[in-house]
Amino acid sequence: MSLTEHRTTSAVSAALAKDRLGVPSVVFFVMSAAAPLLVTAGVVTTAYAVTGVTGVPLAYILLGAILGLFAVGFVTMSRYVVNAGAFYAYTAKGLGRPVGVATAWVALLAYNALVLGLYGIIGSAVEPLLGDWFGISPPWWLIALVFWALTGVLGLMRVDVNGKILAVLLLSEIAFVIVFDIAGFFHPAAATGFSPEVFNPGNFFAPGFGALLAICVASFSGFESSVVFAEETKNPKRTVPLATYLALAVITVLYTISSWAMIVPVGTDEIAEAAGEQGPGLLFGLAEQHLGSTISTIGSVLFATSIVAAMIAFHNTTSRYIFALGRENVLPAAFGRTHPRTGAPLLGSLSQSVLGLVAIVIYAIFSSDPLVEMFFTLGSFGGFGLLVLLTTTSVAVFAFFAKNPGLKNAWRTQIAPGIASVLLFCVLGLALINFDKILGVEPDSLLRWLLPALYLLGIGLGIAWAMFLRAKRSEIYANIGLGAQAAVRRSS
Amino acid sequence: MRLHPRLTGLGLAAAIVGELMLAGWITIRLAAGQARLAPVGTPPGGVVSAPGTAPRGTVMVGAVGAVGVAPPADVVTRSALAHISAEPAHSLQTWLQFLARTAHADVAARMTEAGLLRRPPGRRLPRRARPQAPVDPNTALWPVGRLNLAIQRGQRLDTREALLLGLVVATTVARTVLWEPDSRHLSDSIATLPAPFRELIAQTKAAVGDAVISPR
Repeated sequence: MSLTEHRTTSAVSAALAKDRLGVPSVVFFVMSAAAPLLVTAGVVTTAYAVTGVTGVPLAYILLGAILGLFAVGFVTMSRYVVNAGAFYAYTAKGLGRPVGVATAWVALLAYNALVLGLYGIIGSAVEPLLGDWFGISPPWWLIALVFWALTGVLGLMRVDVNGKILAVLLLSEIAFVIVFDIAGFFHPAAATGFSPEVFNPGNFFAPGFGALLAICVASFSGFESSVVFAEETKNPKRTVPLATYLALAVITVLYTISSWAMIVPVGTDEIAEAAGEQGPGLLFGLAEQHLGSTISTIGSVLFATSIVAAMIAFHNTTSRYIFALGRENVLPAAFGRTHPRTGAPLLGSLSQSVLGLVAIVIYAIFSSDPLVEMFFTLGSFGGFGLLVLLTTTSVAVFAFFAKNPGLKNAWRTQIAPGIASVLLFCVLGLALINFDKILGVEPDSLLRWLLPALYLLGIGLGIAWAMFLRAKRSEIYANIGLGAQAAVRRSS
Repeated sequence: MRLHPRLTGLGLAAAIVGELMLAGWITIRLAAGQARLAPVGTPPGGVVSAPGTAPRGTVMVGAVGAVGVAPPADVVTRSALAHISAEPAHSLQTWLQFLARTAHADVAARMTEAGLLRRPPGRRLPRRARPQAPVDPNTALWPVGRLNLAIQRGQRLDTREALLLGLVVATTVARTVLWEPDSRHLSDSIATLPAPFRELIAQTKAAVGDAVISPR
């Protein structure tokens, strides 16, 4: 379309509106990072195996409800936040800039842990396929390195998995999971298949439930990105909240039913053992039993693509996050540079790749079980960080509207964020109490306190850095939380 | 070397706005907390620069912008100016996004017409895969070369050169085209630009940053 085309009401708005998004597109973008098969085959099985708790479906219902409540205040506040996709922008605005920087550093730790965790599971997805097709079984770290290289190169090329391919993958995964669920419900284990145990609130107090919440919350990560699209939607006031709730609802229902459908044919008494022995293979074994080997193989392939898509998505999200922090000088300005040819966040991408390589090498030398020690441990550690972020952000939403009364109705600005904050604190507490389970160490081990303390260290350093900026670099301090828009310096 | 299309579009959009500002057709004003483009001659809603500090060396205000003067001869800037005059309520960010959509094609067409660009010969590749090439590489490289020489020699840059420099930095290509991308002289030259130009550079940097962050 040329600039000189005929004008109706507003040529500019009309031209820009052509690329605007509706609810389905936003839901798709949000869910693209969700990777349903990664969660069902990877997260759910390891959760059953490591924690020994049968209440995984309950954990998903609980988290879905809490996040739904959280989202009420979150989307309401997003309209007042410039850099709306990042949690630290909310905490900077609601609780002050030092808390904002602290949150940013917690997020860096958490997101990186989630990315690294994925290198621990890709082997278990690809190795069986290589065995079936070519009769080879390379070690997990070799497979991880291949996909590490792929992710790193694509990251530098700023290649996102094509939206249409992603949509096809996502829909295929969901279709496979639904078929698997239905088959599961038709083949219940004799004694304990439909045991009500999975929804028993007594699970809350089972040792290990907190660990469950930490790993399961990671399955939801990315839902907050819906607000990024506010500027690009046809009707932000309606599209963004609707898309957020819809994405949350779909994710919650899918994961609740799927984690239940896995237990039905195995039985509550045997799920932990079966999942421990077979890992992600449990799901594909059941699929083969009930649906035949063709469908099971399709599922295995989709499992691998699901992990790879998640790797690329997480890598790129984290690179952009690092880039935004570099742009506003919360990280050194060098992180705000881009690759001129591809527009990729250069150092954000490279630094993650270096970290990934280090992690793979360390785990290759020391670890016997990458699935539990790398994927589950780092995943839960990242999930725990995500809980810290969600809790702080929820409090920030409450505080922001308390400071600016009269902006919106009380339900959205005070009641929902208030309840969400209290519930998130409880979840966080439970996860902390169960950190020994997350790591698989004895309850009196020092390690269980050391890892959560890393987040405390991040918070401490973040606040210290903010204080330094306030004292020495006030123009940078003033723009904390603005992301790329920090380039536009406003003194107010 | 090929650059990222979205970032190139934003950089060229900013350059079109910059041309209009240099020629005194428009300026940047703050209204409703936003930076907006205002055709010169509209009553000020609060000027970005403090009065008196700004336009030394620029031809911004006054005679050129007076109502009734013939529009720019060049079709790209004329068309942009027509849009901006018709809908002055949009923010500068909106204008950058709007102009960025077509800036690359528009500017390429203008350069082809001016005899600066041509399609390379050969028919084996489809038109789109054959990027346009400069007719005379020396002419094409001259502005950046002159800029580099001026920086190296520590010469004072005029507004046009300093704006070009600022946009090169804002669009992240500084490390590719400048010999001394970390030079002190470079940041000083940008810092001494009149406020509206600095605002344009800052807004371009923000738009480029947002484009990098955007998952779309």
